[in-house]
Amino acid sequence: MKNKQFNFKFLFVVFAYLFVWLSYFSPLVHALDMNSTRFSIQGANVNSASGTKTSTNYTLQDTIGQTAAGQFSSTGYIVKAGFQYIHSIIPFQFSVSNINVSLGTLTPGTPSTATTNLVVSFGDSGQYQVTVQENNSLRTMTGNAINDTGCNGGASTCTISSAALWNSSSAYGFGYNMTGNDIPSDFISSSYFRPFPNATAAQNPQVVMSSVNVGRNRQSTMTFKANISGIQPAGSYQTVVSFVATPSY
Amino acid sequence: MTNKQINFKFIFAVFAYLFICLFISHPVLAQQVSLSISPPIIQAVMKPGKSIMIAYTLKNSGDPVVVNSKVVSFEPIGNQGKIKLDQDILGPVRFGLDNANLTLGTPFFMNTGLSQQLLLRIRVPDEAPEGDYYYSLLAISQPPPVSEGIATTRATATIASNILITVTNSGIIDIKPKVTLFDTLSRFSLNLFGTPIKIFDSFDRVPVVLYLQNEGKNLIVPQGTISLRGNFGEQANFDIIPQNILSQSQRLMQATPSANIDYTGADRSPASLVLSGFFIGKYNLSTTVNFGDNSPTVFASASFIAFPFKIVAGIIFIVLITYFLIKKLPEEK
Repeated sequence: MKNKQFNFKFLFVVFAYLFVWLSYFSPLVHALDMNSTRFSIQGANVNSASGTKTSTNYTLQDTIGQTAAGQFSSTGYIVKAGFQYIHSIIPFQFSVSNINVSLGTLTPGTPSTATTNLVVSFGDSGQYQVTVQENNSLRTMTGNAINDTGCNGGASTCTISSAALWNSSSAYGFGYNMTGNDIPSDFISSSYFRPFPNATAAQNPQVVMSSVNVGRNRQSTMTFKANISGIQPAGSYQTVVSFVATPSY
Repeated sequence: MTNKQINFKFIFAVFAYLFICLFISHPVLAQQVSLSISPPIIQAVMKPGKSIMIAYTLKNSGDPVVVNSKVVSFEPIGNQGKIKLDQDILGPVRFGLDNANLTLGTPFFMNTGLSQQLLLRIRVPDEAPEGDYYYSLLAISQPPPVSEGIATTRATATIASNILITVTNSGIIDIKPKVTLFDTLSRFSLNLFGTPIKIFDSFDRVPVVLYLQNEGKNLIVPQGTISLRGNFGEQANFDIIPQNILSQSQRLMQATPSANIDYTGADRSPASLVLSGFFIGKYNLSTTVNFGDNSPTVFASASFIAFPFKIVAGIIFIVLITYFLIKKLPEEK
């Protein structure tokens, strides 16, 4: 009995000691800034090509910022140009790897797919976004159309802003899936699709890539998918999809 | 017989030629578009009747492409700097290209690796009302030709550069800022006497959000800090990144050094700042924001409490297990 009391007291003391130690003697951890009554050190700014270069005869220390950044003024106007907030040398660049995406010869009940890659380099603060919109549904010159997909339908009905499962060979239509960097979170697998927003139906472009982070070569893959029924009229089905990359303000 | 020999030689030569042509042919690659534009944003404060010229550099790093240039209005959507492009130019500001051989709306050819300078003339008419006007210069690639006989999706790629114009006669900017939200994003909170208290585990990251509202007629650029003060007097300051807040809009501000951390909470809500480290006790957060010389300063504060719940729970668990083991051992004897 005495042993038990002793153990319990011992454990209580240990626990109390740990609590006091954690409560009062553990220091705060801060990320970058360090302050004192006599000094303040702030984290250095980040320049992607800054640093020290040396050779046998010279040492060069440089900081490469932005070309032609800054404020220019004259009578009646002031112009502020460039990446105003972060000195970045990453240009705003947008690439589409394939602008002629062939779905081949469509066979009823057998989905056809094709892909294109979207790549964005973004060095501004704020946010970039890439939107997509189709001029019209996939259709022939004579007006026959492959409707935009509703995915599997029922509980798995997709919309222009919400992806859903589309793996049924009897669910017909035309749509897209996204994989890769900075894509909407509703594309949870390669079987989740959305229909394209249709300009002729006055549907607004939808964001397919966006990020608040700076970065080079942020890449995503768009998979186009078309599945037709046996009564789909023969013809050459075409559409134009517009990708628009915009920086933040 | 001689004719047959000649024909045979001729046909053989034709086939040999075709074979060589096919053998040395280049592989067919997908047509790629890759455009970059600089500067990606310009901001101008102009008097009515004045004009300025901005030199843009458009570079084609992809395959040869035909590009069209266009200026459209845009409006902010959401509170994270996203925009929605309009179909046309709204407002009084007029645009044109000063290039001798280019005009807005006229397609031009760009070879691979070529840079094209676009000299954009921005003119504010004499009668233009004071206020802000927001535009985007677009460079739009033309779609490739139609491929007959197969289902094809052709694509166009557009890259934009934003233009923020403030028109003012006097040079006076309408600055009406407001803090709409300054708080921490916590999963747990206590309501003590009507005051909500946010609670974190000592090892949790503490996300902080700061939303500023611009109720004025002109865009504003906040400058300031978010300060963290602990219960032992320790302090850390975080600079707010001076991002534009457009007229009549709201924006989530970002603060260094964690503004680039891709924090998304359980509800995927973004944060202005993510504090990390070991926290214990009560912490006070405050922010002071100004908008340049002779501008109003806005202030807001918040607080949170941190406690090592996980460690304490672990220790209690170990103590209890140990206690019951110790208690059980003599009984077995």
